[in-house]
Amino acid sequence: MADQKNARVIRKANAFEILNHWVMAISFFTLSATGFAYLFHIAGVVSFFGGPMGMKTVHNYAGLVFAASLILTIFSYLIEALSFSGDDMKWLMKGGGYLSRNAAVPPQGKLNAGQKLVYLMVLAAGAAIAVSGLYLWLAPEVKSRTLSMHFLHNAAFDVYLMIVPFHIYLASIASPGSLRIMINGTVPLEWARKRHAKWAARMT
Amino acid sequence: MTNHWNDFKNADVILVMGGNPAENHPVAMKWIMRAREKGAKLIVVDPRFTRTASKADIYAPLRSGTDIAFLGGMIRYILDNKLYFRDYVTNYTNATYLVNPDFKGPGELEGLFSGYDDATRKYDKKTWSFQMDEAGLPKKDPKLRDTNSVFQLMKRHYSRYTLERVSSITGTPKEKLEEVYKTFASTGAPGRAGTELYAMGWTQHTVGTQNIRAMSIIQLLLGNMGIAGGGINALRGESNVQGSTDHGLLFHLLPGYLPMPTASVTDLKAYIEKYTPKTKDPKSVNWWGNRGKYITSYMKAIYGDSATKDNDFAYAWLPKPDEGMNASWLMLFDKMSKGGFEGFFAWGQNPACSGANAGKVRKGLSTLRWMVNVNLFDNETGSFWRGPGMNPADVKTEVFMLPAAASVEKEGSITNSARLAQWRYKAAEPVGQARPDSEIMDELHSRVMALYRKDGGKFPAPITKLTWNYRRDDGKPGVDIHKVAKEINGYYLADVFDTKATPPKQLGKKGELCAAFPHLQADGTTSCGNWIYCQSYTQKEGKVINMMARRNAADPTGLGLHSGWAWCWPVNRRILYNRASVDPNGKPWDEKRKVIAWNATKIPPGADKPGAWEGDVPDGPAPPLADEKAGKYPFIMRADGMGAIFGPGLADGPFPEHYEPLESPLAENPMGGRQRMNPAAKMFYKEGGVGTDDIFANADPKFPLVATTYRVSEHWQTGVLTRHLPWQMEMMPQQFIEISRELAREKHIQSGDRVNVYSARGKVWAVAMVTERLKPFNIKGATVHQIGLPWCYGWQSPDDGSGGDSTNLLTPTIGDANTLIPETKAFMANIEKA
Amino acid sequence: MGRKSLLVSPELCIGCRGCQTACKEWNQLPGSKTENRGSFENPPELTATTFNRVRYVEVASSSGDPRWLFVSQRCMHCGDAACMNICPSTGAINRTADGAITVDKTKCIECKLCASACPFGTPKFDAQNKLSKCGMCADRTASGLPPACAKTCPTGALRYGEREELIALAKKAGYAKIYGENDLGGLGTLYAFRDEPKLYGMDEKPAMPESLIFWQNVLKPLSYLGLGGALALSLVHLVAVGPKKDEPKNDEPKKDEEVNKNG
Repeated sequence: MADQKNARVIRKANAFEILNHWVMAISFFTLSATGFAYLFHIAGVVSFFGGPMGMKTVHNYAGLVFAASLILTIFSYLIEALSFSGDDMKWLMKGGGYLSRNAAVPPQGKLNAGQKLVYLMVLAAGAAIAVSGLYLWLAPEVKSRTLSMHFLHNAAFDVYLMIVPFHIYLASIASPGSLRIMINGTVPLEWARKRHAKWAARMT
Repeated sequence: MTNHWNDFKNADVILVMGGNPAENHPVAMKWIMRAREKGAKLIVVDPRFTRTASKADIYAPLRSGTDIAFLGGMIRYILDNKLYFRDYVTNYTNATYLVNPDFKGPGELEGLFSGYDDATRKYDKKTWSFQMDEAGLPKKDPKLRDTNSVFQLMKRHYSRYTLERVSSITGTPKEKLEEVYKTFASTGAPGRAGTELYAMGWTQHTVGTQNIRAMSIIQLLLGNMGIAGGGINALRGESNVQGSTDHGLLFHLLPGYLPMPTASVTDLKAYIEKYTPKTKDPKSVNWWGNRGKYITSYMKAIYGDSATKDNDFAYAWLPKPDEGMNASWLMLFDKMSKGGFEGFFAWGQNPACSGANAGKVRKGLSTLRWMVNVNLFDNETGSFWRGPGMNPADVKTEVFMLPAAASVEKEGSITNSARLAQWRYKAAEPVGQARPDSEIMDELHSRVMALYRKDGGKFPAPITKLTWNYRRDDGKPGVDIHKVAKEINGYYLADVFDTKATPPKQLGKKGELCAAFPHLQADGTTSCGNWIYCQSYTQKEGKVINMMARRNAADPTGLGLHSGWAWCWPVNRRILYNRASVDPNGKPWDEKRKVIAWNATKIPPGADKPGAWEGDVPDGPAPPLADEKAGKYPFIMRADGMGAIFGPGLADGPFPEHYEPLESPLAENPMGGRQRMNPAAKMFYKEGGVGTDDIFANADPKFPLVATTYRVSEHWQTGVLTRHLPWQMEMMPQQFIEISRELAREKHIQSGDRVNVYSARGKVWAVAMVTERLKPFNIKGATVHQIGLPWCYGWQSPDDGSGGDSTNLLTPTIGDANTLIPETKAFMANIEKA
Repeated sequence: MGRKSLLVSPELCIGCRGCQTACKEWNQLPGSKTENRGSFENPPELTATTFNRVRYVEVASSSGDPRWLFVSQRCMHCGDAACMNICPSTGAINRTADGAITVDKTKCIECKLCASACPFGTPKFDAQNKLSKCGMCADRTASGLPPACAKTCPTGALRYGEREELIALAKKAGYAKIYGENDLGGLGTLYAFRDEPKLYGMDEKPAMPESLIFWQNVLKPLSYLGLGGALALSLVHLVAVGPKKDEPKNDEPKKDEEVNKNG
């Protein structure tokens, strides 16, 4: 839908999506910081969060926030992320055009194929990390399962640690103009036509 | 014990039979394991495969109550295979003595020795005597061939104990018997040492004394008495039970094993005449010949200045039981059950659980008008009136509880099984109103004295004239226990001289503590509360020394004598009869384990001619036996100085003979003859008696299982001290019963099931412990099952009743023929799944 | 000073359980209500208030006497301790200079991961859910005293001392296999076994769970390697390819050109 006041921009994210994104981002950073402190016994971080039990509380409740936030993203992105087309495949084959400055890529929808994949990975790893985290928190008595849950929690964390930096980089420095989506929700129409041609076409 | 705890490490073979040190004397195992590390063999003979058995090189099971058969077989084995130590036997035992030709043994007299009277169940011991020569000395045959010699009589007596017969009585497989016999008999060789450790598994039988006698014979035959790593060692059941026995706990003894006079012994002269053994043999030390000095010094200790030569040293004030009166445990509670007592002090004991036939004991308590329970905790005795089967409204007994301080809450001495008196210090204040026993007793005394002063009395002197000056000097309340210890040691009441020396040599200064019992006098110039403790708290060059508080751990001989650690009676001698550890020339039989040795050239301090003993404190300073003029026999406490293979002093025979327990699976004695059980044991009731608590059931199909009782490491006696400790209860929470897999199968019982255990007298419940560690016996061709139950539980604590109740509810009222120690280690029972 | 250990010799143990009581006394642990389950063994397992206990193992024999083995059990104080590896809380599980694994309850975060990681099932949790286990009496050993259990043992079945010396001692005494000599980085609780460990109720080859090893060696390093790698790749992209811009602005041509040239 075209922006009423300015015909040259269109809205890519609504207020709810923006808010939810930042909730997720903040909880993620909190969880990562405390998670790293757990893994590598970083005393400074522990005391920053009020000692071992304080940090545990922060980690657990941030985890709850993160999980809730993750569930809410489903309403925003899941359908779009699952709609994979031939263009998406071609986009992926061309590396999303990121491999060279002038590469031409097939037209994309509201989310490009990369974003779709990232989202699905975030969702899957997030589900794993949330479920295993809850299990470790609430029911650590069953020993053999606890160990696999601990394993899963860490494996999923590793996935996050690998994709989140790319996500941030690609959505900020690597793709100027993206960042404002998560600030005011709009993008210039031209910007959108270039990157999300199919969506832009639908919107105008 | 003849030796001491540390000495176990010196043994080559350790026989544990009638005891279970791993569970009841765990620290003893330290020394047993040391011996094993050096290659010693540990033999355990027990109806159950115990925690001690788990460490044994040889384990042999036997049916409860058949120890004499087992040991009789060993005597036969030693004699048949000539494994005895001949020089030792001929020089140091009465094996060479010739016995009255009229003496007959059970092999000839239907299971009885000569002189038995059916009506009184007593022996006339006239024929159990030695033949005497003109000089009044026993006739001997040093070659051991005379048919009337002790040696030949013994051989005849034990020839009946064949392997087959013993195995069919004990249920021990023949090859096990042989293995045990062979291994233990190997210590008969000079240079090898074998020791025996026993406890209540031997004493608590109708033949308890004879169990130990049988072992004494073996140890004398093998030359194991008096040597390091040898001896017969009673592992006492409580840390200070040795001390309490030494100090006159038993009804028939004054402190220091002086006999309690009976009513017919009316004056001191008669006492000394009656109780002082005599010998005409100059080579016999006959230490009890000093009886007069010890009793006189004792009278001076308890009556002080009131005991004078003129009043016969107050001998008349000693209490004197009637002739033939027996005031031992079973008799007291039998009398109590018949209403014979008004009041009762239960001091540091729990008879409602510890007494054999506890149901009878509990009923007996309800006949009392009052009872004083002195203990750390209330127990089944103090609370008997609200116990199972009691209606509190019907019980008229008034019970007073006096809380006592625990051993760590008071200062004093404690004497362990090794006769070692160690001084202990107070570690903590008594809890609440608890007070040390000495203070309770002191206050009791002062109140009784006050009553005498106020009301007078028929015969007050025995009480009012007592020396009783134990209060602290600093004015604070309480007893100065050092004053008691000093009174026990004794004082010189005048300057005392050795009048045999010329000029008379001063032994002690008036007012000082006595140096040692050879200084005690019969003329009232010394006092001594207990002659065997003389030297325990002494004075050297005016300086007072508490010998029991010494803590020098040095061990110059390497034998573990530790002569500078605390003090042991007599005169700090660590191994009794140590003169038997050397040959007649004073040379140790075993050079590796030299307890003492005669040094013919050394001049002892204060003497003018050479010749002195080195090592442990010898049994008297006299030169070795071979010394023509002054040599002495080694067994100085016996009138003839000899180890007694023939023991005419006992009530039930000069040689131990196997008799079945009061209750057994057998209707007849498998040794033959007409005498199934110990003929001299006092019967409290007739067989099959009804309508009383005193019933028993022999060879009765209703009670086919041989039962025994025991303690566990986790609990102390009846558990009064340990059942209040959650740590101990956590480990051993409940009454259990050990049964074999075979019996469990027969009775459809699984491990962990609750079962009811019955005897002719009572019933308890227990948790079944089905185990490999018990196996059915083959007794005379029939399968006989053995069961075992600890006796550490009681209804009163834990107070939810989850512990169970005392297994003494099952045991009978019957005791040893000599000591009346109850037979709780062998009786018949049955079990059913609850 | 080398690593210290406790040498357990079941062949010398008489099952008296003085160690069990001494432990509770020194560590001020309460006794719990138990019941007899047809065995001497109690409590049935280590608990938050039972740091050591004796297992009673009865071995039947078709010929001859049974065997009754007494095996004193407690934390194994592994050289490579799974509990310590997995513990997320800084300073909650520590190793003393002597090699004992100790617990600082104030730092335990009640996550119980140690319990799932321990190959011996040692970690237990108190009423506050804090890890509660044998710490080899570090408060005694620090002052040169042996642990309470070893101090009270009458027969030398529990010996505390220099690890190498204890191993040498046991080997000299003829024990072929010293259980824990090498497993798990060497155990701090060693066993001198006459027979196969299985007979004594022990795992032949105790080991850390494989997933834990994978976690330790792969996942844990991957968390910073992955993060670093992702950041590095982003940086490489930034330098090598550069941001994707629609139309170069006037104030940026030089940079674009530069990027082009470089590209």
